[in-house]
Amino acid sequence: MFLEVRMDERLRRIYVPMTETGFYILFCLQTPQHGYGIGQMVAKMTGDAVVISPGTMYGTLSKMEKDGLIAFFAEEQKRKLYCITPLGRELLEMEIRRIERLYQNSKGESVHD
Amino acid sequence: MIRKVRFFSIADFEEEELWLREQHRRGLRFVKCVPPCFYVFEACQPEDVIYRLDYKNAALGADYLQLFGDYGWEYIQTMFGWCYFRKPASLAQRENDAEIFSDPASKVDMIRHLIQTRMLPLLAIFLCCILPNWARLVLDQAGRMEQILGMAFTGLLLLYVYLLLYCAIKLRTLRKKYARS
Repeated sequence: MFLEVRMDERLRRIYVPMTETGFYILFCLQTPQHGYGIGQMVAKMTGDAVVISPGTMYGTLSKMEKDGLIAFFAEEQKRKLYCITPLGRELLEMEIRRIERLYQNSKGESVHD
Repeated sequence: MIRKVRFFSIADFEEEELWLREQHRRGLRFVKCVPPCFYVFEACQPEDVIYRLDYKNAALGADYLQLFGDYGWEYIQTMFGWCYFRKPASLAQRENDAEIFSDPASKVDMIRHLIQTRMLPLLAIFLCCILPNWARLVLDQAGRMEQILGMAFTGLLLLYVYLLLYCAIKLRTLRKKYARS
């Protein structure tokens, strides 16, 4: 609860709940990665069910960097590597708790969070 | 080199993509676009090649082009903020491989960016320059020369209004379509 109060209201409105694209990008950036690498990871994790196109990838990365969820990490052969920030991690954890609650409730398990 | 004349407004990018694809299918490979309506092609083997336009009203970073390149999109040119890309249809095996936007939100973002950085400036030019000048010229018709000028200017003004309205309505429709998809 403390975290939720501290969190910028605007960011919470934008990122909770997250789009599927946003969630996977943030999730993958727990280790530094570039856009195309994230795209490949996500396609592998979801068996090609979620394929993120470059325009969407670039736009989402730019927006998340501007909002402070991720930060520039390094550049490798013209590819920008990004990494999650503490703020991004807070939002990701908040989203994971929300999805867990959703999942458990959908299974009929009672959850009070 | 083969030149063609064709006008697409800023709201007709989907039609432009299809038209370029059709030309390539007929053996005309797109080389460049010269504003406002000239297209340069070179003869090639007919092939099914997907064309896509992204709108970026900012300097293009090397990382942006690299990312599209990694996804198999060949960069052709940038013109008035429009970046032209193409990819052979044979390389697009999964559904989203043929698209540069995979979720509706990013398509809506592109339309919003287009409205803010193209439509609003065009509207401002219209309200602050074109309309006052037109009013002055038409209200102040002293001689024959001014009358002819006034009529020509009225014609241009009507064309401008028509294009503004056409683009505004079409972009609104596109935004709705993307938001629903």
